[in-house]
Amino acid sequence: MELDFSILLKFADALALGLWTTLKLTVLCVAMGTALGFLIGLARASENALIRIPASAFVEFFRGTPVLIQLFWIFFCLPLVLGVELSNLASATIALTLYMGAITSETFRASLRAVGREQMDACVALGLPRSVQILHVILPQAVLRAVPTLLSNCISLFKESALVSAVGMADLMFVGQNISNNTARPIEVLTAVACIYFIIAFPLTRLVTRIEGRMLRKLAA
Amino acid sequence: MTAIPQDAALVRITDLHKGYGAHIKVLRGLNIEMKPGERVVVIGPSGGGKSTLLRVVMGLEEIQQGSVTFAGKPYISAEGSKTRIDTEQRKKIGMVFQHYTLFPHLTVLQNLTLAPRKVHGVSRSAAEDRGRAILARFGLDAKADAYPSQLSGGQKQRVAIARALMLDPQLMLFDEVTSALDPELVAEVEAVILQLASQGMPMMMVTHDMWFARNVASRVIFCAGGVVVEDGPPEQVLGNPKEERTREFIDRVFHIKG
Ligand SMILES: Nc1ncnc2c1ncn2[C@@H]1O[C@H](COP(=O)(O)OP(=O)(O)O)[C@@H](O)[C@H]1O
Ligand SMILES: [Mg+2]
Repeated sequence: MELDFSILLKFADALALGLWTTLKLTVLCVAMGTALGFLIGLARASENALIRIPASAFVEFFRGTPVLIQLFWIFFCLPLVLGVELSNLASATIALTLYMGAITSETFRASLRAVGREQMDACVALGLPRSVQILHVILPQAVLRAVPTLLSNCISLFKESALVSAVGMADLMFVGQNISNNTARPIEVLTAVACIYFIIAFPLTRLVTRIEGRMLRKLAA
Repeated sequence: MTAIPQDAALVRITDLHKGYGAHIKVLRGLNIEMKPGERVVVIGPSGGGKSTLLRVVMGLEEIQQGSVTFAGKPYISAEGSKTRIDTEQRKKIGMVFQHYTLFPHLTVLQNLTLAPRKVHGVSRSAAEDRGRAILARFGLDAKADAYPSQLSGGQKQRVAIARALMLDPQLMLFDEVTSALDPELVAEVEAVILQLASQGMPMMMVTHDMWFARNVASRVIFCAGGVVVEDGPPEQVLGNPKEERTREFIDRVFHIKG
């Protein structure tokens, strides 16, 4: 069998539309999931067990179950529970936001911990009240430390979002599968789809490496 | 500098007991009375509780027994299992640590102005003017907008001292502030502390540098086993100690120094 990549040109528009859906979904879930993860990360650092334990349970649940099954739950069970129909995009956004929240909360928690006891001692010695310690010393450092890992989390989500194709959402992966089924040319089509994911993810992974180096140098003081 | 009568103690530590957890007893009934204007150097074997003592005075630690007064007023006391710390009193004390504890995400000037602005409500421009003046005094004017990671160890420690001075402390605590430095950077930090000493700043410090101790101290306290073993002027404690344990320690330290 001859490989023929030229057939892809016919489907350029469809692929572009799929990519647009993938990007939209990723950006939405990254933004909301990171905000959620930040709050959950704080909750997990709380001294109050009533805040800490539910937050931990949430995280363990979403980290310990397959994303695909989480998607099915949200797609098929949530409408039953809520009694309303949700659009595909809404369901996928909710599912991946919750997942992203769980993942990034771990990132934030680790970076909060990395702000050492010595920084706290310095705060106390300077008479900084708790609110100033948190807002001006701990959180900025924790967020800066979290940036490289957060970017990695984003790249992972971008790729993992391909799972939404399994519940019928027309993202890049879904479009690619459709084309490949219709043309019976899975190798060309799926290779092209992989290339599209790669072309977007690769510069981002390079960026992560560079930012990581800079952050580490800066925060090493 | 302070309105305390000369006969009163600036710091009075009475029967201080402090340990970590149930089993580690570090300070076991320590008594120190520090007069205004005194510069106390605490020496003693490693692990003997010198840092713990300074941390207690800074109000960073819980204590199990005893009390500390500052400027004639109650400051820290053990009440049952609780430690009561007067945080208003604590604000009058500044501390510099062995490991640089600058805020890495803030510039040098921001490090200096954070506490005056957020704690004392000083305006940004006033705080910055003051900050630049102190930096200039310490030869750091060019570094105001640098980040800590761009500074040498000696510069970081000088910034840390400047940061503490922004709050007009009535007592400065220095815990081995040159121990983590490369040897060639020690002098610039010690010079800054000597400058403060010559201006009459009361200080309590831990150092292993006997030359520096002799130059800066008005009084030397040898601590071992969680109590004060010997307490007197530097010529006595460093030069001609009365206590056998002090003598052994001094001999050993000088011996190591070659
Ligand atoms: N946070 C802590 N938890 C447990 N033990 C500690 C802690 N800090 C200090 N210690 C112990 O207390 C003792 C005295 O320590 P330290 O005050 O640092 O002594 P020094 O400064 O004289 O070397 C040491 O045995 C040390 O291991
Ligand atoms: Mg020490």
